[in-house]
Parts: sequence; C-alpha cells; structure tokens
Amino acid sequence: MTSAFSWIKADETAAQALVRILTERPFLVLPAPLHRLPLRVGNVVEVVGPSPSAKTLILIQAAINCILPKEWKGVHYGGLERAVMFIDLDCRFDVSSLSRALQRRIIEANGLRSSLKGNVNEIDKELFAACMGRFLYTRCYNSFEFLATLKTLHHRLQQEKEKRGSAVYMLLIDSIGAFYWMDRALPSSSTGNNNRKSLSLQTVVETVVHEIQRLMAVHPILVLATKSAAFGDKQSTTEVIRKRSDEKMLASRGPQNTSHRDFMPSVWQSFVSHRLLLRTSDGISKHQNHPTFSTEWLLPSLKSSEHFTVDDDGVLVTI
Amino acid sequence: MAPLEDLEREYPIVDSNFRLFCASHGIFTDEDFLVHDLYALEGFAGQGYAPEKLKQGIKQVLSIIENRHRPWLNGLELLEDAHLNKRTLSTGCERIDVLLQGGLREGHVIELVGPSSSCKTQVCLKAASHVAGNYLGKVIYFDTGNSFSPKRIVQFLSLSSDHSTTEVNKTIQQVMSSIVCHSVFDIFTLLNMLHQLMNDLKSQIDCQVKMLIIDSLSSLIAPVLGGGGTHGHALMVTAGFFLKELAHEYNICVMVTNHMVGGEAGVSKPALGESWKSIPHVRLLLSRNYSSNGSFITVLKHPCLATGKSTESLVI
Repeated sequence: MTSAFSWIKADETAAQALVRILTERPFLVLPAPLHRLPLRVGNVVEVVGPSPSAKTLILIQAAINCILPKEWKGVHYGGLERAVMFIDLDCRFDVSSLSRALQRRIIEANGLRSSLKGNVNEIDKELFAACMGRFLYTRCYNSFEFLATLKTLHHRLQQEKEKRGSAVYMLLIDSIGAFYWMDRALPSSSTGNNNRKSLSLQTVVETVVHEIQRLMAVHPILVLATKSAAFGDKQSTTEVIRKRSDEKMLASRGPQNTSHRDFMPSVWQSFVSHRLLLRTSDGISKHQNHPTFSTEWLLPSLKSSEHFTVDDDGVLVTI
Repeated sequence: MAPLEDLEREYPIVDSNFRLFCASHGIFTDEDFLVHDLYALEGFAGQGYAPEKLKQGIKQVLSIIENRHRPWLNGLELLEDAHLNKRTLSTGCERIDVLLQGGLREGHVIELVGPSSSCKTQVCLKAASHVAGNYLGKVIYFDTGNSFSPKRIVQFLSLSSDHSTTEVNKTIQQVMSSIVCHSVFDIFTLLNMLHQLMNDLKSQIDCQVKMLIIDSLSSLIAPVLGGGGTHGHALMVTAGFFLKELAHEYNICVMVTNHMVGGEAGVSKPALGESWKSIPHVRLLLSRNYSSNGSFITVLKHPCLATGKSTESLVI
C-alpha cells in the first residue's frame, strides 16, 4: 500500500516546479532580428540567408547576450551568465570579431552609468575574461569530425555543468549545410552487406539530428543554426521549375516570387522549430553605402518584415 | 576509413570477438561507428555473450572517437592563439594594406576575383615577393596557367629597394630561393599536392611555409563543374576545406584567384559561384580602371570589415 501511495504522491508543488524551471530554463531576450519571437530552450532555430548576410554575426550577438552576466559590480548587462558552445563547420569564425563586439557591449552598458558619474570608461578585464571563458568553440573540417564532436558532446556538457555549476545554455552551429556537397559524393560502400548502413548525406544528417535530439532530451539547450541559402544541383532545380511553372506564373504577379528552397534532407527540415529567412534587399536605397538585409520569419510565418544593415564596426543596426 | 582490425594493435580490447559483434550490426570501420546509435549498441551488447567486455570495447571506441575531433577551446584560448600565431602579413601594396587594415591574415583563405587583366596575378606575384622577402618564410606558388613570372618578381624587388646592386642581388637570391613554384594542371594533382603538403607540415618537415598561392584555382575547378553531377561540387568543396584546414592549423596565408565568366544577360560573374562563396574568409573584387591604367579593389566579404569598401585606383 505504502509504495502505491508514494507513487501517486506529488513530486513537487507548482511553486517548486516554477522555481526549478526558471533556474534551469531561464528566458533570454535575444538581440534583433531574433527578438520577435520568444525562443526558449528546446527550440531549434535556423537562420537562412545568402552569403554574405550577417548570419554569423547574428549568432555571435546571441552568444554575447548569453555569456554576459545579468549584473556585475552594479552595472546592468542583462545577460544570463551561461556558457555557449559554438561548433564551426564553416571554419571561418574570427575570434577578434567576438572580442570586439563583447568589448563594445561592455562599454555601452558602462556608458550609461559613467555618463552619470563622469568617469572614463575602461573595460573591466576580469569581466571580459569571465565572459570569454564562457564561450566554447570547436571546428570541424568534415562530417565525420562533426559526428565525433556530437557523439562526445554529452560528456562534455556534463563536465561543463559540474565545472561551472550552471549548464550550457546554447548550442550554435555555423553552418549546417557546409558539408552538403562532400556528403552527397560519399562513396556508397554498402554493396554486399545488407545490414550495413551506407554512408550518405541521408544517414549523416539523420545521425546528426538523432544525436542533437538525444542531447536535448537530457540537457535543456537552445540550438541556433545557420544555413546558407545555396541552391541544389541544376537538374533538380530545373525539375522544380518545370513542376512549379504554373504556380510560378501565378505567383510572379505577387510581391515575392522568389521562394526559399530547402536543400537539406527532410529529417533536418522537420527538426527545425523556427526558421528566419534573410534576404539582401535592393529595393530600399542603400543605407550609407552598406548593403541592407530584410528578415522574414518563415516558421512560424509572420507577416511583418524588418530591415537591418551592418555598419563599419560590424554592428547590426535595424532600420 | 580504418578497418577495426587496425585498432587491435593499439587497443587489444578490440579483439576478434568484439569485431564479430560489430560485424553482426553492420559495423566494419570506425566511421560506421559514427553513424550508429551507440546507446542502442550498448543495449545489444548487454544481451549477448560476455557483455562486460563488449561494453568496455564500445567505451574504448568512444574514447578513440573523442580524439578524432578537434578540442574545445574557450574564448581566451582562441584569443591567445590569434595573438601568438595569426600575424598580419603586408602585401607590399600600400593601398591594399590600408584597405585590409594591415594586410593579409595568417589562417585566412583570401580570394581575388576579377576579369582577365585586372591584376590578379600581379597582386599574387607582388604578395609572394614581399612575403618571401620580409618574413623569412617559404611561399608555395601553384601555377595553373604558366603565368608565374620570375622576371616580374625581380622587377618588384629592384624597384622596392634603394640599395646597391650587390645587395639587391643578395635579396633576389634569398627571395627566389624561398619561393617554390609548382605547375599544376588538374584538380586531382592539386589535391594530391595539398595532401602531401599537409603531411609534410604534420611531420614538421616544412614548417617555414608562410603563404600558399594558387593562381588560378578556378581554372582547375571550373572544368569539373556543371553537367548536373555532384562530383564537381564535391571536389571544389573538398579543396576548399583542405585550404581552410592548412591555413588555420599551420598558420598559413592562402591566396587563390577566381576568374570571371559570362553569365546571364551578358553580366559577367565569378567562375566559382554560389557554392564557393562560403569557402573563403576574404573575397576581394578586382576591377579594371581603364582611365588610369590600373585596378581598384572592393571588399566583397571580410570577417571584420564592412562590405563595399574599396581602394582608389592602384597601379602595380
């Protein structure tokens, strides 16, 4: 009897659950253009855009919001003080752009206060070092390195949790389609062995999704991935055009006849919970000689669209 | 792809019994492990004969896999690496250096794109002579169109120095001996040579390499692209990632050139187009300025600089 009762006994009260969830899964306001929708841990956000369209910059800005503390020596920074992990598949990450953006944010936050006090703002080295220490980075030169990274990420996440006392909040992947062409040309080695999984784009992406899903079941993390909006091989493109020619005739009268075409296997497409599309917008006059980009939420689809540009210092400016 | 037999010498736990178990699940190489669900495999191991030993074997393979990927670094370690190992190399053209805030970074892949006679090769030669002369390093030059001109390099060197003839001759000797030029006429030879270079660097035979120039990369890749197949693109991206790995891991500055071809509606476009765009760190567009007999350079892409910046006309 007692064992049955203990089974139906409540584990925690609503208040306890709320406290636990708020500490385990705090809500983070992400910088523009990701601020429109509330993104929480467990979401998989994909930022799609042509190259260059400031995709990596958006990831870096999001990472900075996460690694900054909420408050430090009386100055409000509005961050989470949680670690982020950055898996660089494009292998083009430049640490100086991160450090400069972080320094600028620290100065800005201090500027509000120092204008009141009137002292010259100098970057707090200790704060800077603490923030940079929360940024973890690795790079992969092919899909197998990426898979090996994901396979061992569980241990790594656990280590970080024990070391820091707080779990990693964000997993950033730049960019998910980097090895698309290499994987498509993988030699099929499955001849003769029926139960052997053939190495192909499909199995690689399936394994990637499977591993991330498994990680997210144990560790509450927010996944942000970029994808360059390249187009598939010519053959399939023409097929699509042929199929859609009638639709396109109708659609071309509308304002947007360039639809986004996904090249990743459907297993990844259905794994994504939020998708933001970036475009270069030429319609609007150039903002002080810098190219402007427009954003559009495809998933869930939002009507509103925003415009932003990147200035000389590498700062996103919404217009 | 290493068969599991190869692992036995180093790790005796990967014995024939373990391999038999793996083979029954369709695992023959360590790459097969990567696309397999290791938790499910562990479950199967628990049901079979000698489960402890099999589980130990799976753990061993997992730790082998752990060594396969590159280590996680935090932001401070990255900054330290950038400060210690990634220097900025001057190209020898003042205007380019000013545009790029100092010059070319080690660890970057820089692409020069432009129509013919827009000084692509001249910039390459100039950078090669300057780097070889000023940084005491080796410059490897892959020449695909027989456009490498030692005479031009001598010209650059004698123009830039105002010393006596004997001293100029000494510099020329030194610079010429540190530029290694290879003629490459197809992508497979290129990949082969890059492999060899990587092996040499790994075993530290050749650690003085500062710069790698491929003039022009597009003329090797463009012939294998197209036709609706995927192999051309795969070769292109493979070569691209090879260059990125060489550049970053061995602190080399890689410079490649890309020519222009006629596109739709008569507008010329780069021979390596959309799928190539995500490979280089820096893309510079060279365009000819007919009025002043020079070229000007526009930044198409740079990790730190805003796009669209350009130099005034420069004569090389």
